[in-house]
Amino acid sequence: MRRTASMLFSHAGAGAGRRSIPQALADLLVCPLSKKPLSACRLPSRYCEASGSLVSDAVRVSFPIEDGIPSLVPKDAKFLEDDMEKSEQGQIPRDSSG
Amino acid sequence: MALRAARRLASCSRQGRLLLPSQPQAQCNPPAAAAAAFLHSHATSFGYKQVREEEKSRLVGNVFSSVASSYDLMNDLMSVGLHRLWKDRLVSQLNPFPGMKHLDVAGGTGDVAFRVLERIKSVGHRAMQGTLTDAEEDTHIYVCDINPNMLNVGKKRAAERGYNEEHCLSWIQGDAEALSFEDGSMDGYTIAFGIRNVTHIEKALSEAYRVLKRGGRFLCLELSHVDVPVFKEIYDVYSFSVVPTMGELVAGDRQSYQYLVESIRRFPNQEKFAQMIQEAGFERVEYENLVGGVVAIHSGLKL
Repeated sequence: MRRTASMLFSHAGAGAGRRSIPQALADLLVCPLSKKPLSACRLPSRYCEASGSLVSDAVRVSFPIEDGIPSLVPKDAKFLEDDMEKSEQGQIPRDSSG
Repeated sequence: MALRAARRLASCSRQGRLLLPSQPQAQCNPPAAAAAAFLHSHATSFGYKQVREEEKSRLVGNVFSSVASSYDLMNDLMSVGLHRLWKDRLVSQLNPFPGMKHLDVAGGTGDVAFRVLERIKSVGHRAMQGTLTDAEEDTHIYVCDINPNMLNVGKKRAAERGYNEEHCLSWIQGDAEALSFEDGSMDGYTIAFGIRNVTHIEKALSEAYRVLKRGGRFLCLELSHVDVPVFKEIYDVYSFSVVPTMGELVAGDRQSYQYLVESIRRFPNQEKFAQMIQEAGFERVEYENLVGGVVAIHSGLKL
């Protein structure tokens, strides 16, 4: 387990994913607002490499990852709907309650 | 030589320890906490200025963005190198161990994180081969800072120190008042020269409590209140005349350093802050004054 985690780590480091973070870190992070796990567009992976952001389904916001540093400051959060339009991943049903 | 002199000064510092009587009724009392939050005014201090709460985080952000590049140099100058010894002291009180999960808040430039890492390594090597190297691999230090400029300085320094190949350091931009870590996920929590700058100290303390495991330790290094006669006067002159001028000359930013010295005076004194830590739920709360209270290290356990 640990080996796998550190392999993922080194891979992420070598890959210099400016818009991604190591899985081991992603597993530990929660949404700063809801304290619920962060996910990525309902994919099994809990962080979304494609859109370069971490998504909090509970409060329907996303947090950016810049230069490999996730920004989990509540005031930097973006409403999910805006993100979806940009990344054209309109698969997620919208809540009318917003 | 300067370092030796600094050490001498640090060692003749007056040290006061206090163990607060436990107040079980004050702890774990959500209605009281809610009432306190309710009574909290919506104006807050930015140095001696009264500003709106939303303003403070922006203004503090400006301060740190503006001084990020000269931050370490200014720390050395202002504290005559003492901040290094204070951080060493903080980390030695933490007593880091191989395999620990540690969160350092407001530590963007990596000063505390690197010390924790170095100490774990030296402990690991002393304890010898095999079992502990495995534990060492599990070690993870999370550096959380609200300011991206400070984090970038830290990341760069980590690379310069050859830490870029290591898997045990993570950098996260986050707010001390709304941490993004799971409940009970950390063995240790440190915050050095950071808590003074958060808008709601009590929120930061309750978040620290939340992310710590049972048995986890909270440690806070902060500029505090000097109460030694004569020395207090000298310290005041130094703070209000020398520091802002130095800030202007070295960092080209007088205002940020004016804010710094004012915010120190606004921060609750040692006893009051110890009480706040206890109100957040921590036990065995104590503090240690260094250099007559210029800085204090507060500590508490989540039991």
